[in-house]
Amino acid sequence: MRYGYGYFEEDKLGKVADTGLWRRVVSYSVPYWKRLVSAILLSFAVIGASLALPYMVRLGIDQYITNTSLETSARIGGLSMLAGTFVGVILCGFLANFLQVVILEWSGQNIMHEMRQQLFGHVLGLDLSFFNNNPSGKLVTRLTNDIQNMHEMFTSVIVTLFNDFMKLLAILIILLWMNWRLALVLSLLVPLITANTLWFSRLARDAFRAIRTRLARINSFLQEALAGISVLQIFMRQEDTLHRFTELSNGYLQKNLYQIRIFSIFMPAIDLFSSIATASIIWYGGGQIIQEQMSLGELAAFLAYMRLFFQPIRDLSQKYSIVQSAMASAERIFQLLDTLPASSPVRMIPGQPEMKGDVSFHHVHFAYDTEQVLSDLSFHVAPGKTLAIVGATGSGKSTIVNLLEKFYEPDSGQIYIDGQEISTLNSQWLRERLGLVMQDVFIVPATVRENILLDKKRGEGELEVIIDKAQLAGVVANLPEGLETRIGEGGVELSSGQKQLLAFARVLARNPRVLILDEATSSVDSVTEILIDRAIASTLANRTGIVIAHRLSTIRRADHILVMDNGRIVEQGNHQSLLDQDGIYRRLLSLQANHSDLLPNLASQVMDPNR
Amino acid sequence: MRANATRTSWRADTAKNLSLLIPVFKRHRFRLILGFTALLGVDFFQLLTPRFIKKAVDALEEGTASGASLLQYAAYIMLLAVGIACCRFVWRYLIIGFSRMLERDLRDRLVAHLLSLDRRFFQRHSTGELMALSSNDLAAVQLATGMGMIAAVDALVMTLAALAFMAYINPMLTLIAVAPMPVLAITTRMLSARLHKRFKKVQEQFASMTEFARSAISSIHLLKAYTQEQTQTEQFGQMGRDYIRHNLKLAIIQGLLFPFSSLIGNCSLLLVLFFGGRLTVQGTITIGDFIAFISYLFMLTWPMMAIGWVTNLFQRGATSLARIKAIFAEEPELRDCVSSESFPLKSGEVRVQGLSFTYPGQLTPVLDDVSMTFTHGMVGVVGKTGSGKTTLCHILTRLYPVADGVLFLAERDVNALPVATVRNNIAYVPQEATIFSETIQANIALGRMDASMEEIEEVAKAASIHDEIMTFADGYQSRVGERGVKLSGGQRQRIALARALLLDRPIFIIDDGLSAVDTETEHTILQDIGPYLQGKTCIVISHRIASLVGADRILVMDKGKIVAEGDHQFLLENNVFYATIYSHQTDSVLREG
Repeated sequence: MRYGYGYFEEDKLGKVADTGLWRRVVSYSVPYWKRLVSAILLSFAVIGASLALPYMVRLGIDQYITNTSLETSARIGGLSMLAGTFVGVILCGFLANFLQVVILEWSGQNIMHEMRQQLFGHVLGLDLSFFNNNPSGKLVTRLTNDIQNMHEMFTSVIVTLFNDFMKLLAILIILLWMNWRLALVLSLLVPLITANTLWFSRLARDAFRAIRTRLARINSFLQEALAGISVLQIFMRQEDTLHRFTELSNGYLQKNLYQIRIFSIFMPAIDLFSSIATASIIWYGGGQIIQEQMSLGELAAFLAYMRLFFQPIRDLSQKYSIVQSAMASAERIFQLLDTLPASSPVRMIPGQPEMKGDVSFHHVHFAYDTEQVLSDLSFHVAPGKTLAIVGATGSGKSTIVNLLEKFYEPDSGQIYIDGQEISTLNSQWLRERLGLVMQDVFIVPATVRENILLDKKRGEGELEVIIDKAQLAGVVANLPEGLETRIGEGGVELSSGQKQLLAFARVLARNPRVLILDEATSSVDSVTEILIDRAIASTLANRTGIVIAHRLSTIRRADHILVMDNGRIVEQGNHQSLLDQDGIYRRLLSLQANHSDLLPNLASQVMDPNR
Repeated sequence: MRANATRTSWRADTAKNLSLLIPVFKRHRFRLILGFTALLGVDFFQLLTPRFIKKAVDALEEGTASGASLLQYAAYIMLLAVGIACCRFVWRYLIIGFSRMLERDLRDRLVAHLLSLDRRFFQRHSTGELMALSSNDLAAVQLATGMGMIAAVDALVMTLAALAFMAYINPMLTLIAVAPMPVLAITTRMLSARLHKRFKKVQEQFASMTEFARSAISSIHLLKAYTQEQTQTEQFGQMGRDYIRHNLKLAIIQGLLFPFSSLIGNCSLLLVLFFGGRLTVQGTITIGDFIAFISYLFMLTWPMMAIGWVTNLFQRGATSLARIKAIFAEEPELRDCVSSESFPLKSGEVRVQGLSFTYPGQLTPVLDDVSMTFTHGMVGVVGKTGSGKTTLCHILTRLYPVADGVLFLAERDVNALPVATVRNNIAYVPQEATIFSETIQANIALGRMDASMEEIEEVAKAASIHDEIMTFADGYQSRVGERGVKLSGGQRQRIALARALLLDRPIFIIDDGLSAVDTETEHTILQDIGPYLQGKTCIVISHRIASLVGADRILVMDKGKIVAEGDHQFLLENNVFYATIYSHQTDSVLREG
């Protein structure tokens, strides 16, 4: 399935005659010009061989088989000579054809690979706000299906289209040369065939598009129904689901039947034209023979060439639509490539002193679009200290992380690290020194070891210490191949708690100066929770910590606590002083610790009054 | 011997599997008869055409041709061509259309069957696997019954007829001409099998690249935070290079397959030119025969290629059909009780007696001799991951079968009640909230499509999700999914809660259904849903003990057993496990403070 995870794009039609677009597409193939030229040269050999054969049959008939002026032995000898040449020609044709296919595939794939790599690198370099506005399915489609579309055009169309045109042209020339009158009669068919083909290609394209849309709908519906089968069954939705599926399925069938009807009309129509040509040759060509203006061999050659003529015409329409969809893809790809990151990257400063981990926010304001998220936020964390941020969902806690990581820029105010404003720092340098652990963990499809190290190098002993500190040792010991166990897509699936522990190991391996921790709200089982707790403690040791905290143990351990509400700091201090204030903080903590203030009430409501 | 035996049994299996399709064939028999008649018509007319060409050429050679006779021949050829075109339309439409109808029929039946299967089945078969079945395997069956059947009949008829006509002209020349053909049939078969295999490889690689790109893009913030842009691009490049390699391997086969068929066709042509030419020179056959012979030869090339292709098509179709049939052979282990009696259950009392449950393929039971009774009021359940809590919920909601005399609902054995009746008494909130790509309204109203907007808003308010829904551009009409609003885990769980609240059933189960909701919101929710749970049997599973403190009873589960039972205070004093978790979660802060 090539529909990028439920995301389906109505395929827009490309402009086949857009020269600017063509120039850009062609520029990618320039490094491969030698191979492409050799493919074109080979295509001459292929066409030459396929066209030489009917001509040789004609020669055989006219010069040897029907030529009674020669002696029988000379005629047979001539035939043998001709047969020998024939063998040579067909072998050459075969070889040229094979080489051409392989060379084209090789160049096409390499061109597409470069384009894909460029696009992938480009996309990863874009700002986070870009990703918020563009669904990931759409971007994946660019990288996969759109590139694939262009590849199809490169290999199967451009050169075969060239082949076909050359072939048609050559056949017309040969026919004109052999007998121009008959050739002119036959060429009356060309406009008819062209009109038929163009009309057909439009109808076929629309039909296929409708089929693809319907199929995508069926697939995403079924995917969802199967994934949620338990819920559908518990809520007794089977009948309704089946009913809706049958409707989708029927819609798909109708579109398929429509496509079959179109093909049932147009495919035989092409053959009909081919028969018209045969009949014309017999009738008009025969007349010419009677008038002795044409030989029998020529007639046979005409019949054979007509067959060759109709072959490429059959799939011309299909190729035209491939070019159209490829041009639409090209347009989308270039559009994405032309999207520039909002802020230009800051150069790495040579001799930048190592980060100490002194973080401060100075009157920072920030809004996503129009929604104000942070208002006049100021705080300071000294190196090695831990700052905990607590507050309800939507109070702006995560935005602090996003600003510090330079994913977004503040609307006003400054953020300093070691007294340097972060907008003057290279983001790569900065991010290497900030360790981020978030609720969701990014798992690469690779071994546990590779997932911990990513691009870093650590000795075996060092790694052992890291795993130990991250409380991951137990997890690793239980995996079938220990550290070398493959995880992620196609490998062992880790639980969310285990992934959290892995994220701590990852941070420890990178040894950052500042640890930013966005604690998970979702509960894990109690044993894992204790492990995570220890991992947090060992990761925070000797580092500046900024923690969006949910766990009491983490909050209590912090040197300073900010209580946030609606993008503002409403309370701050250490644990004890905040508890003494008896404000929001105390209320938040009491919820965390115990629902008992309200639960007796709930329980009494739940209980049957008559019991 | 053994290979032979397995092959025979494979054939027998295929015959058995075909029973799945026979009703469809029967239903469309007239369509099929007419379609194949038209196909034979095409073949017949096609074979006649060279006869007329031959007659015309012979007449020209002998000098007996006149303008009128030539026109007549041309007219015959045209007439045949029109006949061919009409018949082609008929068979294409009827037979290919049939294969699409068959596909639709099979797909609908498959989905209907899947919907009736229980959870054990879905545990053994992943969604991806079933999706592949519905797309790839059905497509393979469709191809085999559509183009496959057509090509097989067509190739057979054309081969026999063309051979007969050729033999009629000259048997010896026919033998010589067709000598290279078996090579073509065998090679096509071998190559197209390999082609299919390599094509699959290419598709798999394409799929893993897609997955890689998706996972990179969907966690872009982490990737950037870890400065993995470079590494990821390199890894993607490595996959891309593998993709090139697989494609080249495929291209080599493709590059061989098609030119090879024209190579063989040309070899035959060469033989005819040489030997046939000799025969013509010697006067054994006429020049008209010679040209007609060449025409028949061209007709043979396609069936020879088709034989190899069709064999693979049938084989693939048979394998796919076997896979589909295997799914149809699956029956829900949970036997529904057929009874027209309606059961207005008087109470929501649930009694479990000596329930044990082991997942297939596992040795240790997840539930081990569990007995308990849930009546009005709230029962909390705590325990480690894997202690059997969720399995218990799945059994209560009848997703897994139970033995007789184990599970009772309002004092009636559930096996004596229709599954629908049991489920209609339960509202269930799972941990993994399933949200469908529909409007939010439709998602909440999943169990009661007739619910009014007021009712929906009311439960959404109780689940603390109403305000957030109102911030979406289209409110309750916003669609969920990639093209609509994206919901966080907590939002999904609260929608699932609202969905269950709307049902107003005597039994209410929350299976850790608020785990992704922050503590403060959970607190508000528990307060607001109180009125909805009044007088109901309410089972709440949670990792946060704080949410369960006020329950009437709390069960502590470990290794599939209920190890302790009592209210919060009792457990705190008497159960070490419970007390440990509690003190860890609360950190005893408040008491110190």
